[in-house]
Amino acid sequence: MNDVLDQRAAARPGGRGTGRGFGRVLVTVYGILAFAAVGRSSYELATKFSEAPVAYSLSTFSALVYVVATLALAKGRGAWRTVAWVAVTIEAVGVVTVGALSLASPDVFGETTVWSGFGQGYGYVPLVLPFVGLWWLWRRRGDADHADHADPAAPAATAPTTED
Amino acid sequence: MLSATRAAGAPRRPGSLGAVVVPLLILAVALCVALAGWALVFVVRDRAVILKQLFGAAAVEAVLLVQAVVAGMQLLGGHSVDGALFWGYVATALVLLPVAAAWAFAERTRWSSVVLAVAALTVGFLEWRLWQIWGAA
Repeated sequence: MNDVLDQRAAARPGGRGTGRGFGRVLVTVYGILAFAAVGRSSYELATKFSEAPVAYSLSTFSALVYVVATLALAKGRGAWRTVAWVAVTIEAVGVVTVGALSLASPDVFGETTVWSGFGQGYGYVPLVLPFVGLWWLWRRRGDADHADHADPAAPAATAPTTED
Repeated sequence: MLSATRAAGAPRRPGSLGAVVVPLLILAVALCVALAGWALVFVVRDRAVILKQLFGAAAVEAVLLVQAVVAGMQLLGGHSVDGALFWGYVATALVLLPVAAAWAFAERTRWSSVVLAVAALTVGFLEWRLWQIWGAA
């Protein structure tokens, strides 16, 4: 199945960015999580930051990481590829570290965050997502500039695109 | 605003508009599940999202809008909920479907259908949570 997907992606100009094919789904899930995390942290910062500054700072940090990861994966080329690697790696380390700490000593953050209990409150999506993201970036490694340079005169794609 | 509720065919009970909110939420959940099912059939058939499905998403969006307006009027009328939580969910549900539909439609492979299914299921989940939040207060 992956071969078929690769062929199809390769057949389309610009089809190998991280925001295309399966990447569309990945960016969608990242976007939803980013929106949820930003909403949650804005609410916490606005109404009750002083109750648990560590937990709510962490919520804000994770929200920013999700926003950056979503944008970088959607762009998917050149420097954005590096940004995506960094953001997704921070996210993977963050969810595992915070998840482990929150189980080891529940009081350490004062309140729950997106990453507490390995993303339990979000159906463990925050735990699975960064590793799917790393796998996807690894699969698309080396393609970052290929699509740009191989078809400089190619039309933007066969369909209307929101990228670039 | 009242005409909007009549246009959607919502049952009218004199003096208790609040009784309409929960049926509207249930309707929204059902429509989201139906839209997701439609998209998943397309995933299995290896097809991209089609225009008809975007119209379907627009119909769901219309129900979400009507529900938001009716809920807002009901809250002005005295029904109490956790406001920030409730409106946070309402806003997320309203924004998600149009953005996801545009994002899906720009991809012309089966993955666009997966995107639509994910978005529809998420909105359905949000509406189900709204139902809980509405009844909890």
